[in-house]
Order: sequence, then C-alpha cells, then structure tokens
Amino acid sequence: MDDTRQLSGKAAIAGVGLSRFGRVPGTSAMGFALEASAAAIADAGLAKSEIDGVLVLMPPQMGEQHGWASRVAVHLGLAPAFCSTMDMGGATAIGMMQTAAALVHAGICKAVLCAFGAQTNPQGILPTMFGSQFAIPYGDVGAMPFMAHVGRRQMHEIGITSEQYGAIAVAFRKHASRNPLAQKRDPMTLADHQASRWIVEPLHLLDCCLVTDGGGAIVVTSTERARDLRHGAAKLAGFGQVHSSEIVHPDRHEAGIGGGREAGEQAWRMAGLGPADVDVVQFYDGFTPLVVHSLLVYGFCRPDEVGAFVAGGELEFDRGRLPANTAGGLLSEGHLSGFNHVAEAVRQLRGTSTSQVPDVEVSMVTGYGGAPHEAPPTVAYTVAILTR
Amino acid sequence: MFKIDKPLPMPTEESAPFWEGTRRGELRAQRCGDCGHLRWPPAATCPICLSSRQEWVRLSGRGKVYSWIVVHKSQHPAFWGDPFNVAIVELDEGPRLHTNLVDVDPSVIRIGLPVEVVFDPQNDEITLPRFKPAA
Repeated sequence: MDDTRQLSGKAAIAGVGLSRFGRVPGTSAMGFALEASAAAIADAGLAKSEIDGVLVLMPPQMGEQHGWASRVAVHLGLAPAFCSTMDMGGATAIGMMQTAAALVHAGICKAVLCAFGAQTNPQGILPTMFGSQFAIPYGDVGAMPFMAHVGRRQMHEIGITSEQYGAIAVAFRKHASRNPLAQKRDPMTLADHQASRWIVEPLHLLDCCLVTDGGGAIVVTSTERARDLRHGAAKLAGFGQVHSSEIVHPDRHEAGIGGGREAGEQAWRMAGLGPADVDVVQFYDGFTPLVVHSLLVYGFCRPDEVGAFVAGGELEFDRGRLPANTAGGLLSEGHLSGFNHVAEAVRQLRGTSTSQVPDVEVSMVTGYGGAPHEAPPTVAYTVAILTR
Repeated sequence: MFKIDKPLPMPTEESAPFWEGTRRGELRAQRCGDCGHLRWPPAATCPICLSSRQEWVRLSGRGKVYSWIVVHKSQHPAFWGDPFNVAIVELDEGPRLHTNLVDVDPSVIRIGLPVEVVFDPQNDEITLPRFKPAA
C-alpha cells in the first residue's frame, strides 16, 4: 500500500441519515435506502445535483442482486459519474467511506452518497442453503454458531466469562434506554442477561444483535466543501481494512486473538493517532464476543485485562474510560449494518448524541462482516477514525 | 405440516474426491503438487503458492476438539428441534473441520478432547464424517 497519510483529513462526512427502523412490516429495502438517502442529503444541506457518486449495500437475500447502486441513483433522480454496489456485510459502511474518499481525492466525484436498506420481515427470508458443504450439513449455519465458536475460544484462551459478555450488553442497553429511536429501551440487568435463553451455547439471546428493518446513508465530500455545509466536517482522519479467515483456517489463523489488527494499524498510521487518543468508539457489535475481540485487536486492552475492563463499566458513557456504542449498538439500538454506528460517531463529534461524551475530538467506528457460514469463515474488518 | 430436509453437500469438481473418500471410509485432503502444503477446505488453487497441481492424501482421522457449541436456535428450519452440538476438530495433520460429536456424553465434551472419525452415510452418494471420543 502506498502512503495513505496524504489522504488523512482530506475527505469528510457531511451528512448522515437513518430511515425509520425496527420491526416495520409491509415495507421495502429500497424504500428504506431512499428514505435514509434523502435524510442524509438533507442533513448535509447539499443540493441533490451535487451528488455525483452512489455506493449501495443491499442484503444478499434480496434475490435480484445486480445494479442496486444504479437503481438507487435513478430513484433519487441523480446523474452520478460513478456507481457501485458493494458487499462486505457489516464492514461495508466504512469500506464505502474509504472508496468515497478515494473517489473524491482522485477527482472522479465531488460528493458521494453511501446507502443501505434491509427488509427482514415477514419471516426473515431464509435462503435454503447459503454457504458451504463443509459446515452447513452439520448445522453450523450463519453468524450465530460462528460467533459462539469465537466466544468458546475466548473463554478458553483468555478466560472471558458469560457474565463479562453480559456487562457489555448491559452497558449498551443503558445507552439505548436514553435513545428514543432505539428498538430496545427497557433497562437490562446482568441477571436478565444470564437468564435469557440460549441461542447457541455459550451465547445467550442477549449476547446477540437485533433483527431490524431499515436503512442508513452517509454523504462524503471534500473536507473543504463540507466545512461550508450545515454541520461542518467530520473528517476522515484514518481508515483501514483487512480480510481474513477465522477459527478454521490453519493457513492464516493466528493462535490467540485472531484477525483484524492490520485494519486498526492502517487507520492509526494514516491518522497519526493511537488507541489512547480515542474519546468515543462505536464497535461493530453483532455479538458480545466481537466487542471483546475489537478491544484486543485495535489495541485498547491486553488479553489479561479485557474481562475486568468490560465488567468494570469502562464502556459506559458517563463513567467509563472508553465510552462505546453510545446509541445502543446493534445489540440494543438496531441492526442497520453499522450505518447507525457511523451516524452515532458523527453525532458524537457534533455534540448531539443522547449519551454525549464531553469534548469529543476523536471518534472511532469499526465494521465487521462477510461470510461466517463459509468454510473457512471469511470476514472483513474495517476501521475509521473521525476527527473535527 | 411439511418437513425440510437437512441440506447435504452437492459435490463440485474440487470436492468430489473428498466425498468419494468418505463414502469409502477414508478422510482425505489435498496436498499441493508444488509446495506440498496440505490444504483445507478443498479448492482449485493452493492458498500458499497458487499452484493448481495437487494430489489427494489420506488423513489419520484423529484429532482434538478445537471448539464446540450447542445450537438451541438455528437459522435453518431443518435444524429446528432438540439442541445439538457442533464441533470444530483440529486433525493431527492440521486442518480444522466442522463436524458433530457422536457417541459422546455431553458432560465430557471439552476443548482438547481426543477424537477419531466415524463415517455416517446419508444416502448412496454422501457420507458425512463425524467424530467420537478416541478409543
């Protein structure tokens, strides 16, 4: 990779938007993508005619998978110079921001819309067999068994306990209870977490993210242009991504804490910052073990201290050293594939979060996604560092 | 009411020799014909050197439990019902395979448990390798 420091802070998020979200029957993924896009463009305060790039993520179970970006562009009445559909699951929002920054830097686009929509009702459209002949016949289907294996290995290798996972879920629910838009706002205790039913042992129901219909969108433009817009610039100071296999791939699996570290290192290097500089973070929290994993690979905790760190309330916005998932995360706000994490990271910089951390200058967001049901399970890690 | 069958592998040219092996009571993996890397899962090219030259070798069928979970709620309706285990077994030769543990008292399942392969025919074509505690 060439030196990315020249890109640091050159592009910025000018606007973010979320559609309605939750369990919203009778709606469409496209409708949510358009609703979120309109909200993001309005939030930026940009004329629609200035959007000349469109990147779109739609869930794979949408069936007819081609041409989503062009279709979103046509529905919005845009005439983009560049359109692309992207697919890295929950890592995509940040991957899009990287792509958008590069497009702006290269002069191909002036402002890029990154959009997402999903509709999971009425019955959670289930492909009959999406994945691998070496995993699915045994009942290892989807993200939940995969993350249960990750949890089992964390318990074995670093001694994490289910109660420590529970402390993460409780912290994020505390934040969600202050967010009027969150899907789950009822207070949760550690006892509630422990009493919740097994999904895949060692994970309880409350270790798992929500199922959400909805969409999100982000507008990326040059920092120079963003400064003149409604909310100013949330600068893209650093970003990184890495793609790896986990758990079953002996060729590349490291013993110990696993993949993702390089994505953080790229982002830190580009931004000229490190973990100690982060004021607030939105971790991709599809499952509680993923938060533990992120704390390790992005350099916040050592393996021997991460359990006590999460159990000690260090992720809580009003008493922790590292306020995290301050809108409630995928665990309690809703699963908008990380677009809600980007929106919250931007709110923290603007000072408009419902669980605001004082004087935020460095706001971090992570993404994670891919094909957990493959053999080998294959995932993408993405990291973005936003600054004022 | 209707019944949804558990999904079974549909062999491809890369994987057919593996499934032919299990049908005959052999656990096999590809070895790279150039760099000698033993790879899992089957694939057209070597992840180390990208060579497409390869041969199939027979594995010992012995290994240890690397991870194990208990599925209570599956995303796939064919697996709805009583909870069941899914394990990842690390073979003595290195590859890690998804599988189920059979003929085992659930209370003795742990990471590191020595196991050996058993062959479980599903139909004329497909035999799934599963694992039981080593004798």
